Amino acid sequence: MSVPQIAKKEQGFRVTLEKRGTTPYLIHFLVPVSSVVAALLVGAIFLKATGHSPLEIYAMMFNGAFGSMYGISETIVKAIPLMLTGLGVSIAFRMLLWNIGAEGQLYMGAFAASWVALFAPDMPGYIMLPLMFIAGFLGGALWGLLPAIPRAFLGVNETITTLMLNYVAILWVDYLVYGPWKDPKGFNFPLTAPFRDSASLPTFGNSRVHLGLLFALAAVVIVYVLLKHTRWGYEIRIIGESQNAARYAGMNIGKNILLVMLLSGGLAGLAGMAEVSGITHRLQHGISSGYGYTAIIIAWLSKLNPWAIIIVSFLFGGLLVGGFSIQTSGLPSATVFMLQGLILFFVLGGEILTRYRIKLQRGRK
Amino acid sequence: MADSTLVSMRGITKTFPGVLANSDVNFEAKKGEIHALLGENGAGKSTLMNILTGLYRPDEGEIWIKGEKVVFRSPKEAIAAGIGMVHQHFRLVQPFTVAENLILGSPRPGRILNMKQVEKEITSISKKFGLEVDPRAKIWQLSVGEQQRVEIIKMLYRGADILILDEPTAVLTPQEVKELFKTLRMMADEGRAVIIITHKLHEVMAVADRVTVLRGGKYIGTVNKKETTKQELTKMMVGREIELSSNQDDYNPGEDVLILENINALNDKGYPALKNVNLTVKEGEILGIAGVAGNGQRELAEVVTGLREIQSGTLKINSKQYCNCSPLEIIDAGVAHIPEDRLGMGLVPSLGAVENIMLKEYRKKEMNKGLFLNHKLLKKKTGELIEEFGVKTASIDSPVKLMSGGNLQRLLIAREISCQPKFIVASYPVRGLDVGAIEAVHRILLEQRKAGAAILLISEDLEEIFALADRIAVLYEGEVMGVIRTSETTVEEIGLMMAGSREGEKVS
Amino acid sequence: MQKVLMKVGFVYVGPVGDAGWTYAHDQGRKYMVEQLPYLDESDTLVVESVPENADAERVLTDLAEKGCKVIFATSFGYMDYVINVAKRYPDVVFMHCSGYKTAENVGTYFGRMYQPRYLTGLIAGMKTESNLIGYVAAHPIPEVIRGINAFTLGVRAANPEAEVKVVWTNTWYDPAAEKEAALSLLDAGADVIAQHQDTPGPQQAAQERGAFGIGYNTDMRDFAPEANMTSPVWNWGPYYVEVVEAVKNGTWKSEQYWGSIADGVVGVGAYNEDLVPEEAKKLVEEKLALMKSGELEVFAGPIKDQEGNVKVKEGESLSDEEMLGMDWFVEGVKGNIPK
Repeated sequence: MSVPQIAKKEQGFRVTLEKRGTTPYLIHFLVPVSSVVAALLVGAIFLKATGHSPLEIYAMMFNGAFGSMYGISETIVKAIPLMLTGLGVSIAFRMLLWNIGAEGQLYMGAFAASWVALFAPDMPGYIMLPLMFIAGFLGGALWGLLPAIPRAFLGVNETITTLMLNYVAILWVDYLVYGPWKDPKGFNFPLTAPFRDSASLPTFGNSRVHLGLLFALAAVVIVYVLLKHTRWGYEIRIIGESQNAARYAGMNIGKNILLVMLLSGGLAGLAGMAEVSGITHRLQHGISSGYGYTAIIIAWLSKLNPWAIIIVSFLFGGLLVGGFSIQTSGLPSATVFMLQGLILFFVLGGEILTRYRIKLQRGRK
Repeated sequence: MADSTLVSMRGITKTFPGVLANSDVNFEAKKGEIHALLGENGAGKSTLMNILTGLYRPDEGEIWIKGEKVVFRSPKEAIAAGIGMVHQHFRLVQPFTVAENLILGSPRPGRILNMKQVEKEITSISKKFGLEVDPRAKIWQLSVGEQQRVEIIKMLYRGADILILDEPTAVLTPQEVKELFKTLRMMADEGRAVIIITHKLHEVMAVADRVTVLRGGKYIGTVNKKETTKQELTKMMVGREIELSSNQDDYNPGEDVLILENINALNDKGYPALKNVNLTVKEGEILGIAGVAGNGQRELAEVVTGLREIQSGTLKINSKQYCNCSPLEIIDAGVAHIPEDRLGMGLVPSLGAVENIMLKEYRKKEMNKGLFLNHKLLKKKTGELIEEFGVKTASIDSPVKLMSGGNLQRLLIAREISCQPKFIVASYPVRGLDVGAIEAVHRILLEQRKAGAAILLISEDLEEIFALADRIAVLYEGEVMGVIRTSETTVEEIGLMMAGSREGEKVS
Repeated sequence: MQKVLMKVGFVYVGPVGDAGWTYAHDQGRKYMVEQLPYLDESDTLVVESVPENADAERVLTDLAEKGCKVIFATSFGYMDYVINVAKRYPDVVFMHCSGYKTAENVGTYFGRMYQPRYLTGLIAGMKTESNLIGYVAAHPIPEVIRGINAFTLGVRAANPEAEVKVVWTNTWYDPAAEKEAALSLLDAGADVIAQHQDTPGPQQAAQERGAFGIGYNTDMRDFAPEANMTSPVWNWGPYYVEVVEAVKNGTWKSEQYWGSIADGVVGVGAYNEDLVPEEAKKLVEEKLALMKSGELEVFAGPIKDQEGNVKVKEGESLSDEEMLGMDWFVEGVKGNIPK
C-alpha cells in the first residue's frame, strides 16, 4: 500500500521536554557544570549593572573559599555539619521518609552533648569526648525516632511532624540558654558556660577544622557500606524503591522506619555535637545557620549518593564562605545572597535536564 | 477517497526513548463496520489509538478524518472531530452520578444545566442501544460492566461517530460480552465506525468485520474476517503458528497443602471482599480460580501470602496454622507468589536483576558473609537462573524495568521457583505476555505441578484455566460459587457461575 | 595632606538598611570617613548580616587577613570569636561593642543608652492617657533590662500612675514579629509604644492604631511621622574617629569604654514637634542638664523592684558592675524576665 507523501510545511518550532530512558554519565557531569556557568553569567549581568566587576567578584569569591589554606579550612569547617546532616537526611530520603527535621535533630544532639559536657564530672578528653559523641548521636536519634513512631504505626505524615519538632528543639535549647543553663558569669546573655578543654574536639593544626571531619568522612563510608553491602541496607533500598515489593518480600517496614529515622536523626545529632564541641565550645542561641535545611538541598543535589555528599557539601560550604568574603569589596549582603540563590536555582533547575531531554519539534504552536 | 471511510491513518511513526512504538503504520476504518485492531501486548495498538485520540503526536505520518487532513494538538480536538475512546481503566468520577459524569467536559454549549434534559437523553440513548443504566446512580454503586456502559453512553452523548474500545471484554463475564457485542453491532449499523483493540482471537472472529494486525509496532496487514481463519490471524500476530499447552497429565493429587476455612477479609476500601471462602489445594494439583476481575481474586492471593489481614476463618499451610502471620513467616513456610502486579510488587523496577533475584533469599545465611552480603555468590546465582529460565537482558545490572514483560515474568518466576516452593500462588501469570512467554510460563507451572507443588492459579482467561487447572473454583463477589473438576465442566457452566449462579443451578 | 595607608573593618549583625542598630553604626563609619582625611570609603571593609556563630570568626579573620588595622565588631554575640581571632592577630586592634571580654589588643565600647531612655521615658509618661505604655523588647539580657528600667523610672518620674508593659520577641531584627508584638501591646490598652528593637516595626504599628511611639537607635520619624515622637539614639561617629586616630598615633590602649550622654555617644534624637508636649520638652531639658552635670543619676535610690523590695536605698546608686549585670525589673514594669 502506498501513501502519497505530502510536502511538510515549515511552521516554526516547538520546544518540548521528553523523558530520557537512561541518562548518560557525561550528562550527570555536564548539567551541573553548565548550570553553574549559566548562573554566573546571569549574575555577571546583574553585577555589571550595579557597577561591579563580575570577574573580580567571582575571583574573590573563589579565592575566599578555595584560594588559600585558610579559606579551604573554613570551607571544610562549614562542610562538616552539612555532610553529617546531609547524610542523615539522605538515608531517610532513600526510604522516602521526608525527614525535614535535621535542624531539630542537630539541636537535640548539641543539647545532649552539652549536657554531658556541662554536668558530667571532670574527666579526661578521651572519656569525655566519646561520651559526648554518644550523647549527641542519641539526642538526635531519639528526636528522629519521635516522629517515626506515629509514622510507622499510624501512618502520620512525617514531613509535618519532623518540621514542627524543629521548632520545639530550637525553643528547648533557647529555653535552656536563656534559663537554667545560662552562664552565671555571662551577664544574662543566652549562652551556657564555656566547656572545659576536655570537652572540646581537637583541631588540625592552627585551623578550626576539628575532629568532626573524621566523624563525617567515617559516616560516609559506613553509610555507603551499610547501603551497599548489608542486609539492612538492602532492605532500606528496596523499601525506598517499592514499599509493595518490600512487603511482598517479607520485610518489616515499620521496624525499618524506626531504625532509619534513628540513624538519620543520630547523624544530624552528631553534627550538633561537633558544632558545640568543635566550634562554639558552649551551647548558645542559634548554633546552626540552617544546616538542617541546607541538608535537604545537599541530599537532593547528591542524588542521595554518600560519596557525592562529600563533594557537594564541600562546594556548598565554599559557596557560603565565599559569599562572606566578597562583601568586603563593597557588595551588599543582599547581592551576595542573590548570587548564591542564583547558583542554587540554576543547579536545581538544571536537574530536570538529567532526566528529560529538550526536543525541538516542527509544527505550529 | 471513498465516502464511507471515516478514519485513515497513513505512515504513522512514533518513537519513545528506546522504543519504536509504531513504525510506518497504516490504518483505516469505515462507516458501519466493526474493525478489530489485533496484536499481542506491546504490538503498538494502544499507541496508535492514543495518536488517533490526540493524546500523542505522531513523529511522522498523517491522519485523515472524514476526508480531511487533521492535526490533533489535544484530546479535546479529537473529541470535537467525533472520536471517542473507552479506555481499559475507566475515566469516571466515582462519587458523581452517571448524568453528572456525562456533562463533565462535554463540549456542548450552554451555561445553565438542565439535568432533567440530560437524564432524558441518557435514557433514550440507553434504550436505543440496549445500554441499560440509571442516570441518577452514583458511579461507585455500579458494577464494572455498568461502568463500561456509562463510558460508551458518554461517547455517544458527545456525538462520537468513531468509537474506540480498548480491551473492552477484559472485565466482563461471557454473558456480558455477548451483550456488549450486540450493542457494538447496533452502533455500527447506525453508521458509526467501531474500533476494538484486542488480543483475543475468538472475540475477533465473533464480532469484527475487518481486522488490522500489528506486530512489534509494524503494520502486518488488514483482512476481512470472512476471508480469514484463526490460524491465519495467529500467524500474522506472532509470526508463527503455536498451540497452547494443555494439561494432559494424570491427576494424582497428594496431601492438602493449603486449607482455607471460612475466610473473611476486607478490600482496601474496607468492604467485605472475601466471604466465608473454603478452598483446598493439594500437592501436585493446580486449582484454577475463575471469575471476572475484581470479585475477590486479589484479596484471595494476598490473604494466603500474608499480605492482607484475615477477619475470621483459618488458613493452614501443610496443616500448620498461618492465620494473620507476617508475609515473612509464610515465605518461610515455602510459599512462592507470582503477583498480579509484576513491576509494582513482584519486582523492583529500578534495580538490576541481581537485586531482584535476591529479594527473598538475601536473609539466608549462605547468601551472606558475616555481616555483609555475598555479592559474588548472588551474582553467580542470578547468572545461573537467567541462563536456566532464558531471561534476556542487556546486563544483569541494568534496571529490570527496561526488560520486556515476558522477560520480567521469567525473572520473577525464576526467583520464586528457585526457592523450591511447596505452594505457589500465581495471579494472572501470563497477562500481557507474548505467546512465547505464555508457553514458557505454562510449561514451568506444569513442571512444578509434576514435581509435587500445589498451585493456586488465578486467571481471567478461561482458555488458560481450562488448559492448566485440575480443578476450577469460581469466585463471584467474594464468594466461592463452586469447585469442579475441569474434566467435568464446560466453559458455559463456568461462565454462568462467573455471573453469579451457584454450582448446579440453572439460570433461566 | 599625606595619606596614611590604613584599613578599618566593620562587622555588622544586620543589614545596613535596617534603619536601626546596624544603620547607626554605619552612620558612624561614614562620619569617620568624612572626618579623617587619610581614610577613603574604600578603606573601610564592611561585612553585614554576619550571624553570631562560627561564621563570625571567619569573617573577622578574613578582615584581619585583608589588612585591617582596626576592626569594629558591633554585636555582643561576636565576643568569643573576637577574643579567638585577636590572639592570632596581635597587631590588629579589635573593638567589640557591648561585650565584657578584653585583651591586650581587644577593647570594648558601649554607651549609657539608659540615660536617654530615662529622658524619653519622661516624654512617654507625660503623653500617655491610658497610663499604659508598651515596650517591645528583644532579648532578656542586662542591656535590654537596664533600658526598660531606666525608661520606666523616667515614665514614673513624670507620671507615677503609669506602668510599662513588656513583650519579648527574642529577636533583634524581625520586622514582622516586632510589629506583631507592638500590636498585641496596643490591643492590651497601651497608647505609647517604646522599643528595644532594630527596626521601626513597632513605630509603624503605633501609627496604624493612632497611638504614639518612642523609637530606638536612630531617628525613626520618617517611618511613622504621625506616631514617632523621638528616639534615644546612638552617635558612634566621634568615638570611631577617636579610636582610629589613637591607633594611628600609637596611643591606643585596651579599655572598657562606656560613653555617657555627656560624651555624645548617646542622646535624645530630634523631636517630632507636633507630638511632643511643650512641658515634656522643658522637663527633658531640665533633667538632661542635671545628667550632664552629674547631679542626676538614673539608678539612684530609692528604687524598688516589682515585688516592692527596696533594691537601691535612699542616697545610694548602682555601680557600673551592678548595672551591667542587671537581671530584675523596677516597680512599674509589667512583665517578667524569663529565668
